Amino acid sequence: MVKRISILFCFLLLLPVFAHAEDISGCIVCHNVMAGKIDFNGKVIDLNVDAKRFETSVHGAFACTECHERFHENPHVPPDSQVTPEVERLSEEVALKAKADPVALAACSKCHNEEYRDVIDSVHGKNIVEEGKSDGALCLDCHGSAHYITKSTDKDSPVNKWKVVDTCGRCHGKEELAKKYGIEANVMKSYFESFHGKKHILGHKRAPTCVNCHGYHAIKSKDDPTSPVFGTNKIKTCGKCHKGANKKFVAAITHKEPGPIPHYAEKGLIILTISVIAFTVLHVLLEAYSDLRDVLFRRRKEVEHEEGKEYSG
Amino acid sequence: MKKEKNTQVNEESQEIERFNIIFRIQHVIMFTTFLLLAFTGWGLKYAELKDVSSWWIRIWGGPKTAGIIHRTAGITMLLDFAFHVIYVGYLLLTGRMKIRKETTVIPLPKDVVDVVHNFLYFIGIAKTKPKFGRFSYAQKFDYWAVFWGMFVIGISGLCLAFPVQASIFFPEWTTAWIWQLIAVMHSDEALLAIVFILFWHFYNEHLKPEVFPMSWVWLTGRISLKEMKQKHPLEYELMIKEKSE
Repeated sequence: MVKRISILFCFLLLLPVFAHAEDISGCIVCHNVMAGKIDFNGKVIDLNVDAKRFETSVHGAFACTECHERFHENPHVPPDSQVTPEVERLSEEVALKAKADPVALAACSKCHNEEYRDVIDSVHGKNIVEEGKSDGALCLDCHGSAHYITKSTDKDSPVNKWKVVDTCGRCHGKEELAKKYGIEANVMKSYFESFHGKKHILGHKRAPTCVNCHGYHAIKSKDDPTSPVFGTNKIKTCGKCHKGANKKFVAAITHKEPGPIPHYAEKGLIILTISVIAFTVLHVLLEAYSDLRDVLFRRRKEVEHEEGKEYSG
Repeated sequence: MKKEKNTQVNEESQEIERFNIIFRIQHVIMFTTFLLLAFTGWGLKYAELKDVSSWWIRIWGGPKTAGIIHRTAGITMLLDFAFHVIYVGYLLLTGRMKIRKETTVIPLPKDVVDVVHNFLYFIGIAKTKPKFGRFSYAQKFDYWAVFWGMFVIGISGLCLAFPVQASIFFPEWTTAWIWQLIAVMHSDEALLAIVFILFWHFYNEHLKPEVFPMSWVWLTGRISLKEMKQKHPLEYELMIKEKSE
C-alpha cells in the first residue's frame, strides 16, 4: 500500500512537468502518456497523442476542442457540447470513415471548406457519401493523422512529391480493391515501369507522380468526362509538360497491361538476346580454352620445333 | 643463308596500316559514346533498385544531367554512324575501297564454314585454325552488331527522346502499343549490346593471350606483317600477289 502511494506521489510530482510540456488544454496531460489501444464500438483505437509531434504539426497551436467539438475541456463532463451545424451535418455523412470522433473528421471543413467540398464531390468522396462505403479516401487516409499533419512539402508528409505515389499505392496497389471496383490493377507496376516512374524513383524533380495527371482532392474516375485523363482531356493534361501533345501522342501513357504485340515482341527479343549471349559465351569460353591450350602446350612445341630447325640450319 | 633469314625477320616486323586515322577517330567516338550511353542508361533501366540506381545516377550528375548526357551521346553516336556509312560509300564510289572476298566485311558463306571449322579447332578435332581474310567472322559479327544496334536502339532512342515529334509519324492504329514496343526494344537491345561487347569484344580485343591487355590497332592503326600473316592470311596472300603483279 505504501509502495502504491509512493508511486502515485511520484506521478503527482511529475504532473507539472507534463503540464508544462503543453499549454493548449488539459486533455493532453493524460492523452500524451496513454499506452496500448482500446476497443471502441468494435474499432481498435489509440487514444494517445504524441504532444511533441502534435506541437510541431501545422495544427499544433489548436485547442483539442476546436476539432473535437463535442468534448469539453473538463474530462468529467460527458461529450455533449453544441457542434457547429454544418460540421454536425457533414459528420453524419462521413461517420463511417471515422474511427472514434466523426465530428473531428468533419471539422477539417471549417478551415478547408473548398478542399473538403472537392473531396466529397470526387470519386473518393462519392464512394463514401453516395455509396455508403468506407473504401473512398478522406482527409486522413492521405494526409495521415490530423494530429501530425505537416506541410505537403515537408520531407515526412505522406503527400509530398516523393511519398505521394506510395500513399496512393496503399489502396491502388491492392488487387482486391481493383477487382471490387473494376479498376485497373496494374497501375503501380505500370507506373514504376514507365519512364515517368523510373525517373521519379531516381529523384527527377520534374517527373510526374499520380497527382500531376489525375488530380488530387477533386480526383475523378477516368471514365468521368471531367477527369483530366478522360479521352481528349489528356491532350491538355499531357500538354502541361509535353508541348504540342496531340491525340496520337497521348495514347503513349496508359496503365493497361501491354497488348499482344509488345508482349510477343519482348518475348522474341528475349529469345534473341539469350541466344546471342549463349552463342557468345560458348564461343568465348571455348576459344579461351583453345588459346590457353595453345599457349601452354602447342606454342612451346612450335618454338622447340623452330629452334631445332634453326640449329640444324 | 644467315643474311637471308635476317631480311625475312625484318620483313615480318614491318607494319602496314590497317585502319586509317578517319576510321580510328570514328571508333574512338563510337566507344566513348557507347560507354556513356551504357553507364547513364543502366541506372534508368534498373531504377527499381532504388538505392543503388539513384546513387549511380547521382555520380552522373543526377537524373536530369544523366538524361542530357544520354541524349547528347546518343545523337553523337548516330552522327558518327551516319558519317561512317557516308565515308564507306565515298570510298567505294571513288574506288579507294574495293569489294573483294578476301577483304570485305560483308558476310559470305565461307564465314559459316569458318565458324564450324573454328569450333572444331577449339575442341581439338581440327588441327589448324580457319584461314581468315581481312575480317574474320568474329570481326564481321562485331561490325554488323553495331548496324543492328543503330537500327533498333538508335531509332527507338530517337523516338523516346522526341516523343511528341515521333508520334506524328505513327499511324493511328499503332498508338495503343507502339510506345511499349519502342521502350522494350530500346532497353532489351541495349542490354544485349552491353553484354555482347562485354564478352565478345572484350575477349577478342583485350583478354586474348596474344593481344592482352589490348590490341593496339585502334590507336596506332598499324599491324605487323607477322600478325597479318597469322590472323588474316588470305588478305596477306592477296596483298603479296598484288605486289608481285
